[in-house]
Amino acid sequence: MKRTVAISLKIPDNAAYTTLTTLQRLQLDVAHVERSEVWVVEDDGSPDDFIARMESNETIFNPNKHRLVDLGVDEPRPGEVWIAEHGAHNEMREHLGGKKIPGVSQPRRFVGWRLLNRDGAPVDAPVVRTAAERLLCNPAIEMALYEGK
Amino acid sequence: MSKRIAVLVFPGTNSEEETLRLLRDCGGDAHLLHWSRAALLPKFDAYVLPGGFAYEDRIRAGAIAAHDEMMDYVIDGAREGKLVLGVCNGAQILLEAGLVPGTGEIRRPTAAFTRNGPVPHFVCEHTYVKLAIDPARSPIVAGLRPDELIPAWAAHGEGRLAADDKHLHELQSNGHVAFVYAHPDGHVDDSATPNQSALNAAALINKTGNVLAIMPHPERDGWSFNHPERRGSARILEPSGGATLFRSFVMGVKSR
Repeated sequence: MKRTVAISLKIPDNAAYTTLTTLQRLQLDVAHVERSEVWVVEDDGSPDDFIARMESNETIFNPNKHRLVDLGVDEPRPGEVWIAEHGAHNEMREHLGGKKIPGVSQPRRFVGWRLLNRDGAPVDAPVVRTAAERLLCNPAIEMALYEGK
Repeated sequence: MSKRIAVLVFPGTNSEEETLRLLRDCGGDAHLLHWSRAALLPKFDAYVLPGGFAYEDRIRAGAIAAHDEMMDYVIDGAREGKLVLGVCNGAQILLEAGLVPGTGEIRRPTAAFTRNGPVPHFVCEHTYVKLAIDPARSPIVAGLRPDELIPAWAAHGEGRLAADDKHLHELQSNGHVAFVYAHPDGHVDDSATPNQSALNAAALINKTGNVLAIMPHPERDGWSFNHPERRGSARILEPSGGATLFRSFVMGVKSR
């Protein structure tokens, strides 16, 4: 079955902060940025230990600095855009960070950018799209996936 | 009054010293200019963006730096006709800023120097690049001979030119590919290209010829001690082939 997880830093994410300041310089009304590595995979193993198996791959997950969230659906959340490099999926096929996980196949990797407003709520879809078009995605080499795709 | 060249230093830039020294050795009145002093940039006559990892390549190589305040001034200067040279990470920044190839809107890139192929690994290789445009097309390369070969070190993980087919066709047919990778005898083929760069491109230039983005480092073959076949030379600080491009750039700046 298809599974989707987001791995993000639980320590301060300097890259996300730099991105926030750049988005604000672009006059976008964003107060917080969450960055994650999103993996969409096919899993033939037991659903009960799926998260434990993903977390066992120390190449993509370090318990000292990462948190892993089971997203449930394979599409961006409200306020979020997923960015993937053209052609990168094939290079990564069958491997996550270079190390195969039992039961897991056909991994696809994205960088997830979730943008929140001052109240901690997801920003509106047009703001997400503008952020992607002006900063987060270079269409020459990347594609952007939005909520609802 | 001498023409002043600013060597831009972003947080994460790491090739500013050799860039500065080679510009000065080539007769340029060059100065380092750090990001916190961006407002001084209009006082300079030309800009050089050195290699490194500006802003740690956060998001993508060059993406954050392209929106830095320093780039506001570089973009204004480029529009006024000032000469701009970007090397390696500097080249990536110029593409992210949309100054090169300059076929789209500013800060809406239409191409990128991105992850190397066929394996997305860092390469560190001595290479040659061959001038692929008429020297008269740009004051930056006006001091070079047609088809001139320049030695340079490719030292990057993301140096492969990539764009969609439409834009690649545009780059080729409108003369935006300024240098291509070549063998030491000048022959050009895919085996001379260390990263599977599209069109064998090592450097791109904008339409008006005043902004050049080159991936391999000529400044790291600027003196004899840098060049693999001349390392035994007694005169280790004798100019090497990489200085040729910088000399031409300085000549171009002085002629404006």
